Amino acid sequence: MKKTVFAAFVAFWSSVGTMLALFALAPAATLAEGETEYTLEEVAEHASLEDCWMAIKGKVYDFTDYVPQHPAPPPVLEPWCGCEATEGMTTKGYGRDHSPAAWESMEAYQVGVLSEAEGPE
Amino acid sequence: MRLTAKSSQAVVWLLALTPGLLALLFLNPSDFSSPGAVLNLLGRLTGIWGMALLLVAAGLCCRVPGFDRPFGGLTKLWQLHHRLGAVAFLLLLLHPLLLAFSAASISLPAAVQTLFSDRSAVIWGWVALLALMIFMAPSFSFFGEAEYQRWKFVHRLAGVTVVLGLVHTLLLSRTLPGAWGPVIWGLWAAAALFAISYRWVFSRWRGRQPYRLVAIDRPARNVVELSLEPRAAALRYDPGQFVYLTPTDPQLSAGRGEEHPYTLSSAPGERLLRIAIKDLGDASRALQTLTLDTEVRIEGPYGRFFPSPEAPPEPELWIAGGIGITPFLSRLRHCARTGEALNAHLIYCVQDETRVLFGEELRQLEAQLPESRITLHYFYREGPLEREFIERACSDAAQRFAYLCGPLPLIDRARGQLQGLGVPRARIVTEEFVLL
Repeated sequence: MKKTVFAAFVAFWSSVGTMLALFALAPAATLAEGETEYTLEEVAEHASLEDCWMAIKGKVYDFTDYVPQHPAPPPVLEPWCGCEATEGMTTKGYGRDHSPAAWESMEAYQVGVLSEAEGPE
Repeated sequence: MRLTAKSSQAVVWLLALTPGLLALLFLNPSDFSSPGAVLNLLGRLTGIWGMALLLVAAGLCCRVPGFDRPFGGLTKLWQLHHRLGAVAFLLLLLHPLLLAFSAASISLPAAVQTLFSDRSAVIWGWVALLALMIFMAPSFSFFGEAEYQRWKFVHRLAGVTVVLGLVHTLLLSRTLPGAWGPVIWGLWAAAALFAISYRWVFSRWRGRQPYRLVAIDRPARNVVELSLEPRAAALRYDPGQFVYLTPTDPQLSAGRGEEHPYTLSSAPGERLLRIAIKDLGDASRALQTLTLDTEVRIEGPYGRFFPSPEAPPEPELWIAGGIGITPFLSRLRHCARTGEALNAHLIYCVQDETRVLFGEELRQLEAQLPESRITLHYFYREGPLEREFIERACSDAAQRFAYLCGPLPLIDRARGQLQGLGVPRARIVTEEFVLL
């Protein structure tokens, strides 16, 4: 048993180390230039679960395809469709932030940025 | 109803697995929507099970006298505690890795941010995991075998990691929804806390009984038998049980105020408590020089070596090595005192004639117990214990219930030879002298 645990202990730090090394060595993702700008009015046109856009921290997302995959059921998301939803993202409605993985996974759904004049940040 | 050792262990494992099994009831289809989601689910489940196993392992450390009996004695209970702790450690190592691998399905930065973010829950998790690694390192001999007292001190701190882990769990828990999380963790944590406070607070002030050292016998050059007189309530015990002894003699060169386990050698009906101690380390060497009239503290009794007196009597085969004679001596003294029938054959293994402990008394006891026999096995003459020797000494050895006590190599040897003779494992009871 002691040998198994020691092997697992070594494997644990090797895995963490590998992940950090890959992260440090991989080229940084380049930011897309000339992103499309949307106003909050335009976002508000997509305010249903069948067509769900949100503005979060100055970026605009189309979550229509993601809604069925979200851990909490769709009615939880519905009020945020078509809205500035940073608060929903940072509080989940009960004061807890979404995980870093959740924040990171949003990138795949980004369609543009919020117009300069608007947005909370 | 009397719990068997197996069912007692099963109950403990079930308790440890319950929070995770409960979490399974609250799964939804999105938990299985992609490989990443499944890894995330497994990451959360390993966290829940690791935490629960850790709490139950902590709960088992209470060492309330009598609590160890359904498990087949304190040694068996400690072995269960070790297994729970080791599995918990493995699960808790997997827990952050699985969550990071799950996030890697999004991107590598997401994986790294899952492991290293400045969210307080994640920081608490790391503090708990690193503390667990440090406090468990001596238990798993990561950096060589640890010295007993240092190991014991560091291992006690593992209790701290349980608290750190709970903070992490309560900040994050989402797999057990609503009130389920706080309720389950609250109950399990309360049980663990109760057990730890019994060990650290109650047993220290109330569990240890004061005894006065009134006589010292020396059955051999490196063995003493201490006779102790109770200054308060006298201990009630069965033959074959052991106690933790804490000497308070200010003259002691080592081990003052430290507790160590020793088997009782007296018969339960005697007025004085007797403990035979061989010089095997710093603390037991110092006890050889204990001063008369000083006080020692006794906590116990623990262990369940012999069958309970209510069980139907069966012929027994005893194999003792060196100082491992003590539980058998206690039983022989008890049966000779009370006239209780005893059909036992003792094979006493020692290096040579000079190492026989209590030889004269054993011969007298044998004479008083017509159905019992004693055979001496000298290593220098016979070599390691062979099944042929056992059969020659005791022709119906294979039909007897076997009890082994002594150093580990002898126990392993004797167990192997007895199994070769056809004694099933379930009919071999052992009492190892290991770290307790």
